[in-house]
Amino acid sequence: MFEEDHVEADGFRIRFASAGAGDGAPLVHLHGAGGLELTPAHDLLARDRRVIAFEMPGFGDSPANTRHQRMPDLARTMLEAVTALGIETFDLMGTSFGGKAALWTTLLAPERVSALVLEAPAAIRPEGHAPPQAATAEEFAALFHAHPERVPPRPLPDPALREKTWPLVMRLMAPDRDAELEDAMGSLQVPVLAVFGDRDRVIPPEMGRIYKRLLPSCHLLFVYDAGHAISTDRPEAFTEAVADFLARHERFVVSQRSTMLFP
Amino acid sequence: MEAWIFFPVTYVSDRPLPQVWPLPASVYDRATGQAAFAHALEQMEFAESLGFDGVDVAEHHYAAASLTPNPTVMAGAVSQRIKKARIAMLGSTVPLTNPVRVAEEYAILDNLTGGRLVAGMLRGTPNEFLTYGTNSDESRAMYEEGVQLVIKAWTEPEPFGWQGRHYQYRTVSVWPRPLQEPHPPVLVSGNSADAATFAGRTRLMMGLSFMPVHLAARQTALYRQTAARAGWEPGAMDMLYRGFIHVAETDEQAAAEVAHTYWKVPEGTPQPAPEVQPSYSAEAAAPDAGGVATAERAAVEANTSRALSGEQFAKMGLQFCGSPDTVFAQIERLRDETGIGIIDFVFQGPSLPHAMLMRSLELFGRHVLPRMHEL
Repeated sequence: MFEEDHVEADGFRIRFASAGAGDGAPLVHLHGAGGLELTPAHDLLARDRRVIAFEMPGFGDSPANTRHQRMPDLARTMLEAVTALGIETFDLMGTSFGGKAALWTTLLAPERVSALVLEAPAAIRPEGHAPPQAATAEEFAALFHAHPERVPPRPLPDPALREKTWPLVMRLMAPDRDAELEDAMGSLQVPVLAVFGDRDRVIPPEMGRIYKRLLPSCHLLFVYDAGHAISTDRPEAFTEAVADFLARHERFVVSQRSTMLFP
Repeated sequence: MEAWIFFPVTYVSDRPLPQVWPLPASVYDRATGQAAFAHALEQMEFAESLGFDGVDVAEHHYAAASLTPNPTVMAGAVSQRIKKARIAMLGSTVPLTNPVRVAEEYAILDNLTGGRLVAGMLRGTPNEFLTYGTNSDESRAMYEEGVQLVIKAWTEPEPFGWQGRHYQYRTVSVWPRPLQEPHPPVLVSGNSADAATFAGRTRLMMGLSFMPVHLAARQTALYRQTAARAGWEPGAMDMLYRGFIHVAETDEQAAAEVAHTYWKVPEGTPQPAPEVQPSYSAEAAAPDAGGVATAERAAVEANTSRALSGEQFAKMGLQFCGSPDTVFAQIERLRDETGIGIIDFVFQGPSLPHAMLMRSLELFGRHVLPRMHEL
């Protein structure tokens, strides 16, 4: 079960949820633009490792974040939050908006990140990409899920919350193609798994190939029949690949599935 | 309209064959089998000379009706004989194979044909699922995923992994790439409501087989509706209909040849004892409830493992049969009621000898095909 706590870092009081334990490095998760939301994938990943899911400053119930002007600013704060928890090296996972935050966090301290997982990352977008909008709860579900009929109905995000976070999201996400980020990615030696749902309607899954081209060690993975919310749409499929990658890094291409039926 | 011709590469025997599936290898005559390949290649070269627009092959297993369990191998030979017509795989049975292998094999064929490949991918009929032990309840899901994986393998320029429901690959990077950009036209089956919906939703060509015209019209309407919801409009050339055909000088002669030669089941043909017939059929067919039975599925449902008898074929009737004028009228009716632009003709009756097939083909080529091209 995930338990909530707070940590003081870089002048922010940062909420996080954590669960699990294991011999390996803990997994730090940075959420998407909608804020911290635990999915079935968090529970599955926490079976074999400690998972720490942060709520980044400016999201959820935290005060509006007007201090961070660029994504590296937020990344520096999150790195300090990890340090404040007494963690030196860790695995890192970023979802959508959090994918860009996770990339910058890794670029700031590559020696501390064992492996990086990007879930439907929003760090690279087509030029002039308009963030898709949803006017109703139904449209919202259809935007994020391959099968909106399979997810429980939920209301649209609170407009007040959106008013608070959206300027931060827009500021830190810009620009669609970030030359500084993409240049830096070229020399990142940390193994990266970039995961896209093949039915992502928020970020075109074709963006995945750019990560593959820019990053020296990047594996691109498509999760079939998943939308932008991969870890909600296909949690078991997503988690199996992520856990295998975190355990074996590049060697996860070597199959260990047994085909023996009988001895 | 376009006329394509299907080559099942049928083992045409003048001796009685047991009407069972699987057909035991013990009744196989090697010379008869080899002749089937030689005849098919001769027939397809003749068909191209007559002006047929496409030549196609398909995957079937353990049966005399078709000797191409790997149709890609046959298409490799076809690619060296057929110089202008489209060559269509109609097709590999995706749930029975490795979809990445399908992507690789089809890419070879597209190169060998100079970009004339039509990439049909099919689900298979219940008896085919027995071949390699495919779970028929999962076959539709495997099929839909497999088709998406093949297309991804052709269109994704960087190596990628695939985390599916039924398929998992850590690394896919297909060489050669198909010659056609972004990839060869993909055709999927539309014989059931689920299948027609999938074709429309995924913007792929749809193929129908052997069903009566009014049911074909129902499927094409469903295909168009689903396509409209997905934001596109299929054209006539996105829809194909496969049907049996026999042409003779007169209607009477054609009917007599069908009754006595095309579907002939020799006297004394051994039939399987009821107790040895597997009873999988109702279960196998269940996922497609509400769909339109193909000839093969009808046969399996009607009588478990028995192949279609001549009587059953005769009762269903050929979709196109008669004099050239009659056959043309049947084609016009199909076009008018369904909007289909491609007809894939099966000239090869299960027991139709080579010489009679060539005559039917020639009559069609000289007297029907030019008029069909005007439609």
